[in-house]
Amino acid sequence: MAEIIQIVVLGLALGGVYALMGSGLSLVFGVMRIVNLAHPSLIMGGAYVAYWGFRLYGIDPLIMLPVAAVILAATGVILYKLFFEREARSAKYSEMTVLLTFAVAMILEGGLATAFTNTQRVTSPEYATDAFFIGSVFIPKGQLYAGIVSLVLIGGLALFLKFSRFGYAIRATTQNREAAELLGVNVNFVGLASFAIGVGLAGAAGTLVSFVFSFYPSKHWEWIAVLMSLVVLGGMGSILGTVVASFLLSVIAAFVGYYFGATWSTLTFYIALFVVLLVRPQGLFGEKPELA
Amino acid sequence: MVTTDNSQDIIAQRRAYNETLMQAQDKTRATWFPIALLALLILLPLLQLTGTNYNYVIHLTLYTMCYVVMASGWNILGGFAGYISLGHNVFFAVGGYVAGMLFARLGISTIILAPFAGLVCAALGYVIGLITLRVRGPSFIISSLALVMIFRIAFENWHFIGGAAGVALPANGLPVEWAKLPYYYAFLAMAAFALWASYKIKHSKFGMGLRAISVDEIKAESAGIDTRFYKVLAFALSAFFVGMAGAVWGEYLTYIRPNIFLVILISVNMVLMCILGGKGTVAGPAVGAILIIAFNEFFVATLGASTVNILATGVIMAIALIFFPLGLVGTLARHRKLPRILNWD
Amino acid sequence: MNELLEVRDVVAGYGDGPAILNGASLKVQPGKVHCIIGPNGAGKSTLLKAICGMLKVRQGDVKLRGEDLKGLRPDQVLKKGICFVPQERALFPKMTVRENLRMGGFSLEDKSDLEERIDEIEERFPILKERRDQHAGTMSGGQQQTLSMARTMIIRPDIVMLDEPSLGLAPKIVQEVFDIMHVMAETGITVLIVEQNALMGLKNADWGVVLDLGRTLFEGPADEVLADPRIQELYLGGKKAA
Repeated sequence: MAEIIQIVVLGLALGGVYALMGSGLSLVFGVMRIVNLAHPSLIMGGAYVAYWGFRLYGIDPLIMLPVAAVILAATGVILYKLFFEREARSAKYSEMTVLLTFAVAMILEGGLATAFTNTQRVTSPEYATDAFFIGSVFIPKGQLYAGIVSLVLIGGLALFLKFSRFGYAIRATTQNREAAELLGVNVNFVGLASFAIGVGLAGAAGTLVSFVFSFYPSKHWEWIAVLMSLVVLGGMGSILGTVVASFLLSVIAAFVGYYFGATWSTLTFYIALFVVLLVRPQGLFGEKPELA
Repeated sequence: MVTTDNSQDIIAQRRAYNETLMQAQDKTRATWFPIALLALLILLPLLQLTGTNYNYVIHLTLYTMCYVVMASGWNILGGFAGYISLGHNVFFAVGGYVAGMLFARLGISTIILAPFAGLVCAALGYVIGLITLRVRGPSFIISSLALVMIFRIAFENWHFIGGAAGVALPANGLPVEWAKLPYYYAFLAMAAFALWASYKIKHSKFGMGLRAISVDEIKAESAGIDTRFYKVLAFALSAFFVGMAGAVWGEYLTYIRPNIFLVILISVNMVLMCILGGKGTVAGPAVGAILIIAFNEFFVATLGASTVNILATGVIMAIALIFFPLGLVGTLARHRKLPRILNWD
Repeated sequence: MNELLEVRDVVAGYGDGPAILNGASLKVQPGKVHCIIGPNGAGKSTLLKAICGMLKVRQGDVKLRGEDLKGLRPDQVLKKGICFVPQERALFPKMTVRENLRMGGFSLEDKSDLEERIDEIEERFPILKERRDQHAGTMSGGQQQTLSMARTMIIRPDIVMLDEPSLGLAPKIVQEVFDIMHVMAETGITVLIVEQNALMGLKNADWGVVLDLGRTLFEGPADEVLADPRIQELYLGGKKAA
């Protein structure tokens, strides 16, 4: 029994980080209908901001979080202006943007690897290797802190979407872009802003990733399918769905890892992605299957 | 009541409009060019008789032809039917492993095994297509990425096929200047076959159906096209060509290993070649393959690092998508400037 | 005659595609109901989209009280006083009815009386009050149409453009839609409606416009258009009944 609780705790602890990694992706898809394959490589960018802050100046990754979020949000604005703005009226929009994000992912990977090499990195604040004990169950401090920070950020995002005027505009654009435009929402600006927020969240997630996982530029390929499985299972565009899916899958993955070995635990996400596409393509909280 | 126009004028307008639609495309074609190209490629290895070693030229040509086979295969699904797959290197790997393992155990050359390996991939592609082609657009693209990750983990952990270390294959015993030639001619034959098949498919009822699907799947379905069967068949056919290429590629390199086949760059190359050359055209994948291989060689030669290569590939892909979404062949054809020798459609 | 909105020789189409409108013209008089009819593909919806800024006007003029609207974004055209309800009932399915109405006032500079304006609409259309906290996506087609039309009234626009509001509704409900339209007209809103059912549309309108092949063929008082034998033959199914 203690074993099972331990596995669930470890799964939940990671689930929070996954939730933050996935929610920016979900936001960008919801508002812009862009499947941002570059999201994991942008998370990587955030992780490097934290890494250099820690390595050069000894700054705690959690303090670097806002810095990384702002730097990445600015990157998001540039990427949007460069690549996505002009595609807004393209007939093959979803196909074009997905391929463009793929190209961006390669540019980021190549750029990061050229600048920082493909050496494995990790930031090591003290809490990263420490743990709390409740009875015989241990909770890694790093993952716990990361999970809490994630949930606070996602909660803040949810409140912002629910109650602010701009949140109204974002939700309206998500649900019906044309209608929002006709009611006076400047959908181009909403698109730009939500892209920047989504990428900013990637930056924030990156700082958490920097002490939870080890990372190197080409690792983002492994994360793409993991994050996509969260977003697809949750229902593309639903942030709540992404959060639920994150906890669900990371607990399942923890069990798979415990009983079959760590190699197979990541397989959980990929298999889940397939099963969801096969059984319920709209995911848990999605309304209808996403069509081209 | 105000009549701003008379109906005669409007009828004339509609007639003129219909005529512009009716205007058939310029069908002129230069059949001699592909034949001359084929002859040239058949004779190319004669360079080895001059005394200088042209192995590098042979290798690059072979490598390009390998990608012509793969990109043409990808084009059947991605170009004709409009389903972008980023996971087709799975079939490259399966083809390579099926033929490679049989070659290692039974000693039958992969060149002979290639069609068989292709058929295995086609069958696998058919089954995978039944699952993943239930969704479209972004969801399909994501599922194709997940496919690569699943196969990568499976291949790296399956000890029978050597796991992550892979399996070494015996090299053929030919003298070094002739050693590449069996593979060279195998790839030449496959590339010619793939292009010929592309042409045949494009002009068949099946190909028309695929193009209808790529334009508007719901309308295609209501027009009586069995879209599901068409898509899955297109998936299987494209897997067939990619698998054949993989089969011979393993023996050519003398080893099969997951990180040779299951790297994302191979998938990207297939996609990029088709985009750059022109998706949905017959010549596009070939033109794209030549361009990309030339770019890659240029970057490796001048800059060395493969990380820069990834960066450059990304930049080229972005530029191609933004400025030439129809690709070289497609863009030229739209402006009616496509040279006749490249009009293989 | 002083026109509220004047559209002259507009050429427009989707993206880089061929022009759908090839010189459409239109004169809109304040306070009246205008109905645009014409066969499928004539460019009726395209015309509305070109006016509200969803499509780029390639040639020609769109003027509201003499002020050029060309090149403005939909949110800017809205601020000038033209509100467009597209065919697909532009609702937010996962927002409540009240939230949808609130979104209707999104473009208001001064939101202090927004809630009162919404209350006023709810008084006028009791069904919206009744369904206040229900998600818009769960309502019937007729109720959704009521909501999307009523919502335009919150900002008290000069012109409301309706693209086939009766589409997909049961015949009984269709009359309700036209009733709402008359309510709008009574409050001083000028209505511009595109209607597939030409007979029904013209009967409910003051002014008729016939569009075909992207051009304005005829325009005039609705009863004259309705009575014209050429129009009866070409666009009203050839029936003499009217």
